[in-house]
Amino acid sequence: MRKMLFLATTILTAALAAGSAWADEKEVTVWSWFIQSTMDKSIAAFEKAHPDIKVKYTYYNYSPEYITALKAAAASGSLPDVIGLQPGSLTQQYRDNLEAVNERAEKEWGAGWAEKIFPVNRKQMQMGNPKGDKNYYIVPQESQVLCIWYNRKIFEKLNIAAPETYEELKAAAKALTDGGYIPMFQGAADGWQNENVFLMLANQFSPGIVDKAQAGETPWTAPELVEAMKAWKGLFDDGIFQQGALGAHAYPTGAQLFAQGKVGMMALGSWWMQESKFPPPLSEYVQNMEGFDFFYMPPVKQGNTASPPVGGIDIGYGLTKNGGRNPAAWTFLAELTNGVGLQEALNDLNDLPAFDGHSPKGDITDHVKEMSARFMTDLPKAENQRFASPAVAEALDNALAGVAAGSTEPEAALATVQAATEKALAAQ
Amino acid sequence: MRAEAVRAGPAAAIERRPASRTSTLYLFAVPATLLFVVFIAYPILWVAGQSLYVRSGSGASSFAGFANYVTVLGDPTFWIVVRNMLLWGVITIPVQMLIGGVLAYFIERHTHALRGFFRTMFFLPVVTSVSVISLVWVQIYAPYYGIAQEYLKHVGFVMMTSPIGDPKMAIYALIIVNIWQWTGFSMLMYIAGIANLPSEVLDAARVDGARGWRLAVHVIVPMLAPATKSLLLLGVIGTLQTFPIVHLMTGGGPNRASEVFGTFIFKQSFVLGDTGSGAALSVIVLVVALALSLLQIVTLGARLTPAGKERP
Repeated sequence: MRKMLFLATTILTAALAAGSAWADEKEVTVWSWFIQSTMDKSIAAFEKAHPDIKVKYTYYNYSPEYITALKAAAASGSLPDVIGLQPGSLTQQYRDNLEAVNERAEKEWGAGWAEKIFPVNRKQMQMGNPKGDKNYYIVPQESQVLCIWYNRKIFEKLNIAAPETYEELKAAAKALTDGGYIPMFQGAADGWQNENVFLMLANQFSPGIVDKAQAGETPWTAPELVEAMKAWKGLFDDGIFQQGALGAHAYPTGAQLFAQGKVGMMALGSWWMQESKFPPPLSEYVQNMEGFDFFYMPPVKQGNTASPPVGGIDIGYGLTKNGGRNPAAWTFLAELTNGVGLQEALNDLNDLPAFDGHSPKGDITDHVKEMSARFMTDLPKAENQRFASPAVAEALDNALAGVAAGSTEPEAALATVQAATEKALAAQ
Repeated sequence: MRAEAVRAGPAAAIERRPASRTSTLYLFAVPATLLFVVFIAYPILWVAGQSLYVRSGSGASSFAGFANYVTVLGDPTFWIVVRNMLLWGVITIPVQMLIGGVLAYFIERHTHALRGFFRTMFFLPVVTSVSVISLVWVQIYAPYYGIAQEYLKHVGFVMMTSPIGDPKMAIYALIIVNIWQWTGFSMLMYIAGIANLPSEVLDAARVDGARGWRLAVHVIVPMLAPATKSLLLLGVIGTLQTFPIVHLMTGGGPNRASEVFGTFIFKQSFVLGDTGSGAALSVIVLVVALALSLLQIVTLGARLTPAGKERP
């Protein structure tokens, strides 16, 4: 009997001790499409700095898994504490489920915290907010700058220089095709890659015009945008994009071919640098990014200048209403976007920082440092790449595909985007 | 008493069951009923309810009656989807049944040692992940660097475009992939049907002189009617449920040319955030599926078990 009593007391004490230790450890739940290996490093760094907080990360493919999971969780009130977001439409869809971060951010980083964020990111943070709503529902973690990457080893082999005019671009594409390479790989089955190239072109004709068009200040049928749409069609007709581009995907097909040295050029962004940090074996081109460099789209019409940098927030995070009740959630969000978590992501060359004052550290070659520095110089003057309304982005995707396929004329295609914009603005 | 019940038949025996036993029997149906209500009936009613509401830019929902249905039916994309779904059903169902039936016949009648091998090989696409299938077929369709092009270049043929990138060809290119993936399922259904054919009927047909083509068309095919009806029913439902292959290969494009109900509903609800329209579309699909299923049951009958295995 005495033995039994002793055993029961021991078990009870052990259970209480374990329970108390467990109660001391706070947990933060996070959902995102952000690459798992890099997030694991960010979480490890965070947990080292905050040993009392445990982060539980769930990775999803962006579409359809992530956006359907968010929708279902929002409807049932079971969103995690922190969610990965894109600025504009995705953030706006979940605005009612998100905490405004203004006060927390001010307390964490001081009164001028927003000024430390690059201007294009700051603009995107409030994109789509109802008139007069000055709150921030997303904290950006990483930025990106869109560009045309090229395989400099293939260019050297074929004696081609990075193009500075449209004629040089056409000549480069022809030399690449003749040499058995894919000239510029366009995954035109993906709306996002088409949008990116169109934004490069449109901002070349008139910087900021797409922003004005989506705000209703300029019609989508404006001559500059029609010209940009014609230039877009020209990229297909002039043999700059590969044949059959409309059925191709940028990921994984295009990226794999590009990394393997079968493609001469590809319109991607600063995130391409992370290829060099993927687990081996890596191709000779990807190894330390030795095979790659970038340029901006050369002027497609006489009188134009090369495309200005276009970009903005790559990924940001929002604090859900559930996360608002968990103080540890903000601690994690702050470190992930502007602290130890961000530094790990930068070291992994995942992309550029959204807050000024950070740079990648660790095992990085001079060539990568130089490219990263060029991106960072361009980021503060980047034009916006995001859309406030998903319906407008969707209409533009369809217009671009229709024009590329030759089933729609540029003017008619842009008229449909205009109609979608008017409808979206009226709904607001 | 017992003798009376036996004489009067099972109906009379049920009538005389005590009330407590009847209640107990009903209790057995409770778990299934609960599962049906919670996981099927309630979500359907919830979606039907959502289809009557619109969401404003500020996020507030308001009752809109049938406005979402009017909007959806007035959207040209809806009619592209209807056309694509008709093409999908009209082409895939009979082609899959035909090829599946022929494969089943030849495998069951003309292969012996390698029967298991052929069954497995033709069924393999059914159990392969759609992601893998879509990746492989995107590569097959790719011009210049694609898998098909590697073979076609030996006969001097150069693919200039990808069929999934051509608005006029995209839906047919996807239908081919779907047929490739699901023909193995039709084959399996027919194999099950052929295996259950009563041998005495086949022997009698042979005695009467039926051989080869005649035996297949006039004896075996009619006796496989239950399997055909099942495939027809499943084919119609499968057509309306089509989503992953289109989402992964074309995303409904280019310019919505290959949009199907699944991708259209997904875009409206999850990409554009227009839950009302997405719900209205879901209700329309549900009604169409219900109507087509009832039509089939009424016209073709509900006997879907393999021939010769019908319950007495």
